[in-house]
Amino acid sequence: MTEPLLKISNLAVSFKTHYGQVEVVRDINLTVNKGETLGIVGESGSGKTMSMLAMARLLPPLAYISAGSIQLDGTDLLALNTAKFHQQISGKKIAMIFQEPMTALNPVYTIGRQLTETVMFHEKVSHATAVERAIDMLEAVKMPQPEQRMGQYPHQMSGGQRQRVMIAMALMNSPDLLIADEPTTALDVTVQDEIIELLIDLQKRFGMAMIFISHDLGVVSRISDRIIVMQKGDIVETGNTADVLTKPQHPYTKGLLECLWKLEEPRQIEKPDNMPPVISVKGIKKSYTLSGGLMRKATIIEAVKTTSFEVLAGETLAIVGESGSGKSTMAKIINGLIPADQGQVLYGDVDVTSLTDKQRARIVQPIFQDPYSTLNPNHTIGYIVSRPLRIHDIVPAAEIKQKTLDVMAQAGLTEEFYHRFPNQLSGGQRQRVAIARAIILEPKILICDEPTSALDVSIQEQILDLLCQLQKDLNMTLIIISHDMAVVGYLSDRVFVMLNGEIVERGKAEQVLKSPRTDYSKKLMASVYNVPKPQSEAGAPL
Amino acid sequence: MFRFIMSRLLVVVAVALALSVVAFFLLNLAVDPAQAIAGEEADLLEIEQIRQRYGFDRPLITRYFEWFSGVLHGDFGVSYYWNKPVGELLLERLPETITLALMSLSVTILVAIPLGCAAALNPNTFIDRMALGVAVSAQAIPNFWLGLMLIILLAVIYPIFPVSGDKTLYHFVLPAIVLGASSVPPVMRLMRTGLLEVMNADYIRTARSKGYYGWRLLIRHSLRNALLPVVSVLAVQLGHKFGGSVITESVFAINGLGRLALESILGADIPTVQILVFVFAFTFLALNLLADILNAYLDPRLRT
Repeated sequence: MTEPLLKISNLAVSFKTHYGQVEVVRDINLTVNKGETLGIVGESGSGKTMSMLAMARLLPPLAYISAGSIQLDGTDLLALNTAKFHQQISGKKIAMIFQEPMTALNPVYTIGRQLTETVMFHEKVSHATAVERAIDMLEAVKMPQPEQRMGQYPHQMSGGQRQRVMIAMALMNSPDLLIADEPTTALDVTVQDEIIELLIDLQKRFGMAMIFISHDLGVVSRISDRIIVMQKGDIVETGNTADVLTKPQHPYTKGLLECLWKLEEPRQIEKPDNMPPVISVKGIKKSYTLSGGLMRKATIIEAVKTTSFEVLAGETLAIVGESGSGKSTMAKIINGLIPADQGQVLYGDVDVTSLTDKQRARIVQPIFQDPYSTLNPNHTIGYIVSRPLRIHDIVPAAEIKQKTLDVMAQAGLTEEFYHRFPNQLSGGQRQRVAIARAIILEPKILICDEPTSALDVSIQEQILDLLCQLQKDLNMTLIIISHDMAVVGYLSDRVFVMLNGEIVERGKAEQVLKSPRTDYSKKLMASVYNVPKPQSEAGAPL
Repeated sequence: MFRFIMSRLLVVVAVALALSVVAFFLLNLAVDPAQAIAGEEADLLEIEQIRQRYGFDRPLITRYFEWFSGVLHGDFGVSYYWNKPVGELLLERLPETITLALMSLSVTILVAIPLGCAAALNPNTFIDRMALGVAVSAQAIPNFWLGLMLIILLAVIYPIFPVSGDKTLYHFVLPAIVLGASSVPPVMRLMRTGLLEVMNADYIRTARSKGYYGWRLLIRHSLRNALLPVVSVLAVQLGHKFGGSVITESVFAINGLGRLALESILGADIPTVQILVFVFAFTFLALNLLADILNAYLDPRLRT
C-alpha cells in the first residue's frame, strides 16, 4: 500500500459566535491517493466547502480548526506557521479553483500578470520563462489565442473563459493536489460539460490528485473515482463511485439518488390535446439599447427576435435556454411586466397592454428565482401572502386571515409561519411563500422564472411536486423558464429551446428531451449527467 | 483611453462655460460695481460718473462677452481695489497656495492611508478604535484652534518652526498639518471601508490560495482596488485646499489665494472675486478630471 497523498483525521471546524463556539464540521476522516479524484457531495451548509477551506487555510475570519490533523505528503500542515504554509503549500502543493469565476479574478490586473506572478514568486523564475509557461497553460486549458489573452482583463472574458484562466492559474505551479469547489455551478450547462472534460483530461496529463466538490451528484459521479457524501457537517457515506451509485447505504444518499432518478423520468399525466390557447403571442420582438458615451455608438441587443406561439389552457410549457438567450425577457413580456417593441400578447382575446396592473395580476402571477431577495424582510409571512387580497379587495376583511391560512396550507406552510419573518425561513420555505402569494388570487397562469435554481436538490423536488399538485388542483397553466433540463423534463408537457433570442426548437417534452432535432438542443441535452437507475438482481428497480 | 479623455474634456469645457456665466452674472447682479468702486459715502453723481467711465451702463451681456473673451486671451481685467491687473495678482499669490495645497495633501495621504490600512487589517481591535479616535478628533477640532495650538506648542514653547509667514518651505509645515488634518477623517474612513470590502472579495481568497499573505497580499492585490474610491475623494479634498484655505492662510499669514479672496471680498473688488470664483470652481473641475483619468488608469473596467 502506498502512503496516501492527503490524510485528514478527525478534523473539526468551528465558528466563534456570541453564544460560544459552534461546530460546523465534525470528525472528518478522509484520504486522497496520488493521481486520484475524490468527489465530495452535499447540499449547501453540509460543510464540504468549509473542510476544504480549512485545509487550504482560507477559512473566513471567525472560523477555526478546532480538532484533528491534516497530513500532506508526510508534512503536518497544521504545524506550519502562516508564513511557512503560504510559502511552501499554498499554490505550490495545493491549488484551488472556486465557484464564481466572475469575481475570483482580480479585475484591475491583466490575466498575464495574475498567471505569472506566483511562479515568479514561488520558483524565482524570470519573467520571460513565466510568460512562456503561462501561455503553455492557457493552451493546455484550450483557451483560443493564448498570446493575446495575456494582455486582457477579466471583464473582457466570458464566465467559461475566466474559469479556464482560473484552472490555468491553479496549474501554473504544478500542484500535487487540486481542489475544485463547485467549479461549474455558475456556468451554463454546455460550458459546464467542457470544463468537466477539461479537468478530467488535465488531471491525467499532470498526474495530480483532485478533490471535486459539488452539490450535483450527477456531475461528481462523472469525474470521481471515489465519493464522499456529507450532510450537516458529517461524512455520512464513503465509497467507490460505482458502489455509492448502485448500493447507497445512508438514507440521505438514497434520497439524493432518488431525486435524480425521479427528475429524470417524465411525469405520466394524460392531458387532453385540443385545449384552447390562454395566451397567444403574436410576432413579439424586443431589443435593448446599450447607450454609448458622448463619442461612442450605441449598441442594440436583440433580446427576443420576432416570435409567435400559443400557450394552451392547463399545459406546462417550458422555455429552456442558457443565460443571455432571451428567455427571461420573454417571460417578462408574457407577464406584461415590460412592453414588447412589436407584436401583441393576448390573454384569451384581450391585449395585455389594454389591461390595468390590477386586472393583469388576477390573470397572471410570476414566481421568481431568488426567494431570498423577493420577499420584503420587514413584513411577516402572513402579511406578504395576504397582501394581494387586501389590494384587490375581493374577500371580506373578516375572512382574509382564514383564506390566507388556507392558501398557505395548500403551499405546505403551517399556521406557525403566519407571524414569522422571511429571514427565519429556509430557501425552500421562502419559495413556498412566494408560491402562496402568487396563487392566492387564483390566477389562470403562473410564470415561474427559474423557480428552483437557488435551491438544493432535495428541496427542488418538493417545490416541483408542489407546483404540479397546485396546477392540477387549481387548473392553472404553468410557464417554466429554466436552464435545468432535469427540472424541465420533470414538469413540462411542451418544451421550447431558446438561443440568441430565437426559439430554435419546439415540441412535446418527450420528443425534445429524448430526440432533439437541432444541434444546439442536442448539445444541451447531452450536458445533463444521467445517473443510471440500477436494477436489482431480480430486474426490478431498487 | 484617448477617446475616454477627450469625452471627459468636452464635458469639462461645457461646465467651465456655464461656470463663467454664473460667476459673472451672480456678482454683477448682487453688487452695483459703480457703487462698490465709489465707496459708501459717494453721492449719486460720482457713482454715475464712475458708471460711465468704466462702462457699467452698457448691457450685462455685452460686458460678459467682453470679460470672457478677455479671460480667454489671458486678460483677467484690472482690480479696482489693488489697482493692478488681476492676472498679476493671481500669479503673485498662486505659488503660495499651490505649495500649501500640495503639502497638506501629502500630510493627508501620509496619515490617512496607512491609518486606514491598519484599521482595515485589524478590524474591531484596539488599532481600529485608535484610528477611528484619531479621525473623529481631527474632524471635531476647528482649524483655527488647531493652528493656534500648534503655533503655541511648536513655534513659541519649542521654537522648531516659524510662527508665521511664507518665506521658506519650513513656514508651510504647520499650516500644511492643520489643513491636511481636516481631510484625514473622510479619506481614512473610505480607505478603511474600501479595503475591508476588498479583503472579503473572492479574488483576495484566490490570491491567498496562490500563496499571498500579509503585506505582500495588501500591496500586490488589494491596495489598487481599494484606492479607487479614495482617489476621487482626494481630488475633492485637494480642491477644498485650493479654495478653502482662507482661515489657515490668515492664521499663518500666508499670502495665498485664500487671503486674496477674503481681502477682495471685503474690498468689494468684483473683477478679482469673479476671477477667483471661476478659478476655484475650475480647479475642482480639473481635479475631478484628473481623478477620473487616474481611476481609469487604475481600473481597466472604467476605460470605455
